Amino acid sequence: MKYENLPWLILLLPLISAAVITLFTLRSKMISSLISIGAVVAGFVMTVIFVNANGIHFSGETAVSWLTIGNLQVDLGLKLDALSMMMLFVVTGVGGLIHIYSYGYMHEDESMARFFACLSLFTFSMLGIVLANNFLLMFIAWELVGVSSYLLIGFWFEKPSAGDAAKKAFITNRLGDFGFLFGILMVWGLLGSLNFSVLQAAMVANPLLLGASATVGGLLIFCGAMGKSAQFPLHVWLPDAMEGPTPVSALIHAATMVAAGVYMLCRTLFLFNHDALQFISYIGGFTALLAALMAVQQNDIKRIIAYSTLSQLGYMVMVVGLNGPTPAMFHLTTHAFFKALLFLSAGSVILGMHHEQDIWHMGGLSKKMPITFWTFTIGALALSGIPPFAGFYSKDSILAQCLDQKNYLLFSVAVFVAGLTAFYTFRLFFVVFLGKEKSDHAKHAHESPLVMTAPLIILAIFATIGGFIGIANNYGSQLTPDHETLSFGQQLLEPLKTPIPMCIGILVAVAGIFLAFVLYKNADKDPLPAKLGALATWMRDKFYFDELYEATVIRLHDFIAAVCGFIDRWILEGAIIGFIRGGTNLTGRSLRLLQTGNLQTYAFLFMFGVAVLLYFVLVK
Amino acid sequence: MSILTYIAGWPLLAALALVVVPRNYRVIIRGIAILATAISAGLAIKMFCQFVPGSDGFQFVEQHTWVESLGISYHVGVDGLNVGLILMGAIVGFASTLCAFEIQSREKEFYILLLTMIGGILAAFASLDLFFFYFLHELALVPTFIMIGIWGRGEKKNYATFQITLYLSIGALIALIGLIALYVQSGANSFDIPKIAEQLKANPMSVNAQHYIFPLLLFGFGILVSLWPFHSWAPLGYAVAPSPTSMMHAGVLKKFGLYGLIRIALPLMPQAAHSWMNILAWLCVGNILYVGWVAMRQKDLNLLIGNSSVAHMGFIFLGIASLNLIGVTGAVLIMIAHGFLAALTFALTGYIYRQTGTLQMSELGGLCRKLPFIGTALLMAAMAGCGLPGFANFVGEATVFFGAWSQPSLHVITVIGLWGALVIGGVYMTRAIRTVLHGPLPEKWNTLTDANFWRKLPYALLLASLFVFGIWPRLLTEKINPDVAKIVAVYQPVLAVSAPVNTLQKTAAHKTDSAAGSAANEQLAIVNK
Repeated sequence: MKYENLPWLILLLPLISAAVITLFTLRSKMISSLISIGAVVAGFVMTVIFVNANGIHFSGETAVSWLTIGNLQVDLGLKLDALSMMMLFVVTGVGGLIHIYSYGYMHEDESMARFFACLSLFTFSMLGIVLANNFLLMFIAWELVGVSSYLLIGFWFEKPSAGDAAKKAFITNRLGDFGFLFGILMVWGLLGSLNFSVLQAAMVANPLLLGASATVGGLLIFCGAMGKSAQFPLHVWLPDAMEGPTPVSALIHAATMVAAGVYMLCRTLFLFNHDALQFISYIGGFTALLAALMAVQQNDIKRIIAYSTLSQLGYMVMVVGLNGPTPAMFHLTTHAFFKALLFLSAGSVILGMHHEQDIWHMGGLSKKMPITFWTFTIGALALSGIPPFAGFYSKDSILAQCLDQKNYLLFSVAVFVAGLTAFYTFRLFFVVFLGKEKSDHAKHAHESPLVMTAPLIILAIFATIGGFIGIANNYGSQLTPDHETLSFGQQLLEPLKTPIPMCIGILVAVAGIFLAFVLYKNADKDPLPAKLGALATWMRDKFYFDELYEATVIRLHDFIAAVCGFIDRWILEGAIIGFIRGGTNLTGRSLRLLQTGNLQTYAFLFMFGVAVLLYFVLVK
Repeated sequence: MSILTYIAGWPLLAALALVVVPRNYRVIIRGIAILATAISAGLAIKMFCQFVPGSDGFQFVEQHTWVESLGISYHVGVDGLNVGLILMGAIVGFASTLCAFEIQSREKEFYILLLTMIGGILAAFASLDLFFFYFLHELALVPTFIMIGIWGRGEKKNYATFQITLYLSIGALIALIGLIALYVQSGANSFDIPKIAEQLKANPMSVNAQHYIFPLLLFGFGILVSLWPFHSWAPLGYAVAPSPTSMMHAGVLKKFGLYGLIRIALPLMPQAAHSWMNILAWLCVGNILYVGWVAMRQKDLNLLIGNSSVAHMGFIFLGIASLNLIGVTGAVLIMIAHGFLAALTFALTGYIYRQTGTLQMSELGGLCRKLPFIGTALLMAAMAGCGLPGFANFVGEATVFFGAWSQPSLHVITVIGLWGALVIGGVYMTRAIRTVLHGPLPEKWNTLTDANFWRKLPYALLLASLFVFGIWPRLLTEKINPDVAKIVAVYQPVLAVSAPVNTLQKTAAHKTDSAAGSAANEQLAIVNK
């Protein structure tokens, strides 16, 4: 392996950047942002150099011992293979573009330096997840992305809603992490190691190594992915996370962090048995459906895209469960391109609209913001799965995998969700960009500066060509045992190998777009609630999951806490202190009775004492 | 003279010196105190760096006979168990002296008491003689009561002083009875801990005697560490105490009981320890879960942090209860990490209290805007408190969980512990951040000012310590490990069978686990006979 130290540098540069900004340059927006952008762009360049030198199809590890206590051995180690290299490209590449974009987007904010410090911290932690060679290190990075997400969601902490959203995201993630660490302990207890390579070798040698705990252990580890990738029932935090600045939504809550769960599943797929995978795939499918339904009736531009992210993550998790890590990682990568593109375009719209986010106050922006309009269009087409955009290829591979596994239920869910995706995406598209202006802000909207549009254009290029530039090849070479490497032309025509899912996929996408066109071409308000009635209300109110959790989980915990508080205050403290004080008091009172001040009593006691003494001395 | 004598001696000497300084020379009083603790902290760092991990016996030893007939001698030395504690104690001592700027009245007396506390506890940690071990802790403990009584804040001051004095005196008394019984039973006719250990190694104490003495030590020391259900003194006591006092007590003094358990009770009375550990494990659920819930209910920031500090003790007890190398090492790690953390949080709340005059969370809000440094530091402390990696606490807690998990009988409790650490801790800490630091800033707090350079120093020092050991835990584990191994070696028959073997050939280990546990018990039963 050439340039063995390069991955360390890629990993540590953002951490150094975060530390330097926090300690020294918080006063200077300019220097701070340049340091942070420099760290991640340098990371991208170094990734290119490293992959150029070593090729992508290699496998290596580099580690130093971090903690050794008896048989608990944790390395600070990096796992370098096609999977982590591709993710390095995604995190540093897409991340780099978003960093640059942020420079324009956050320019007016007085806390821009703090923003970039958090962003660098996030990049470091995300790279940690990607490169970790063992479970505990991954868990550490896992927690750190959690906290950087917390800091960035709550970036505008003076807004109560931002503070609440940050708290909610953190706690919901912690619920998942509880299961994750539990699962890690279980695996370690049974297999005696935390290192992925060692575990994999052991599991390959003997697939039944986990014995009866295999399903439970697998599902516990999946809990981690459930929290981070916002799968049902822990999906509630992601839409609220849109309180953070838009570049954060693009980077953390669309392109990278929320995909970490999927990445983790692919990294540790050898641990999961058939039952666990089945469960995972249904959770994924259900999340995809649920989130797509919710997305149909949202009115906040960022929330629509957020629900769409949820739904697409459901796709990925579903296909991992259907034993298809390659389609999952493929979709993860293309999704990173087009979803980051959509979020950044939405950010450009929001900035152009002076921080208005309600789509029913927009309209007719296609002429005012031409670049944003075109990039958004590409993103929307890619998300809807229209050929030849990137999303088409990856979504097609997912549909094909469903059929390949003969899971017709999940196939139909996936197809239905594909239709819904096209529908809600183009609902957003028509209402925001076409039609007439629905507010004064829309009339005075303006295009964003170059520092923001340039990243949009680059992302748009990748959202267009991402399907056939070898992404699936690189993943497949590692993740699929009998993978054959395809040439450029073969990749372009790959979907034709499975004509049924391809045709159905295109058909529902076009149908979705057409339906959106009919309903929203010139709409001033949403016509759906009138047609769907109560269902539309349920969709808008997110099927009342927040309220349900509020009424059950949160109330229950608060109730238990109240009971404990009461016991502590009145019983434990009161009783123990009362007992000691009362006991001392009682002793004092009874002893006081002996001191009557009465001369006769004393004389009597004195004589009594003498008598007793005499008895002992003389008689005994 | 050993460097340990200097580490503990400088603060005590400074306390004596302050007696003759007139009370209106405030700068000199402060200067002497800060200088003495700074030297002490510097020497402790030097000692920590010079410490050779894994060498046989104690290092930096110094011994002078005092009362020959009773076998009492001044005997100090360090091994892996206390080297980190002394470092932590000295740094926290320095930081708390720096934070004593908040004291405005009777400064001279305050500094004398604080320095006594610092020197006393450092000497207690270094002491290898039971008599001095106990006496020096009392020397450090008594100033706590006086400081809370005189410089405490709030209406509940008197009640809190009353409660903390009562509890801690009783705890110390029970532990004293246990220690005297140990002295008598050992038959070594010496207070020297290594000598007693040697004696008991040659002729072990009868199991019967162990079963009388061990609970005395467990509960005596346990009360000092706020073991559930004897914990209610702690949150209230820390809430009303002046912040240097809470820093020293919650951070350093509280670790004395734990240190006593690990140093004395575990190695000298293995059979009794083994049979009591199940009870200890369930009591620590009280700390982790129950006190965690109580913390969720608190409306006062200091009470919340006090309760959280009690909850953290649960993880240490869990580590001790696991009785294996990983668990006990984790316990020692948390003892050190929590010392820094508790000191940091109480120092920060002390700063906020001095500015606002209240710690009622409903009164506060949005403080990050006016106090960016203090706010960020408090946020970091809260995150460290709920086990965020990067801070030393995470390493300790994770290690404890791994240790406890390798003891099959503790599986359920480990999972409860995980819930307490990740979820409950996360809930109350983020709630506190949300109400105190986030949200709009009430208008009345527009006049708050952030810490200047000198005020920042103690916070930065404590944060840096947390980071150093959190990022590179080997600095500690390499030193702690060999000596913990010696202690848990007594439990080896238990360990050898029930811990998961680090070879992958061992298939379906879970099936043999329960069998192994009972086998181990049988083995121990044989030892008992």
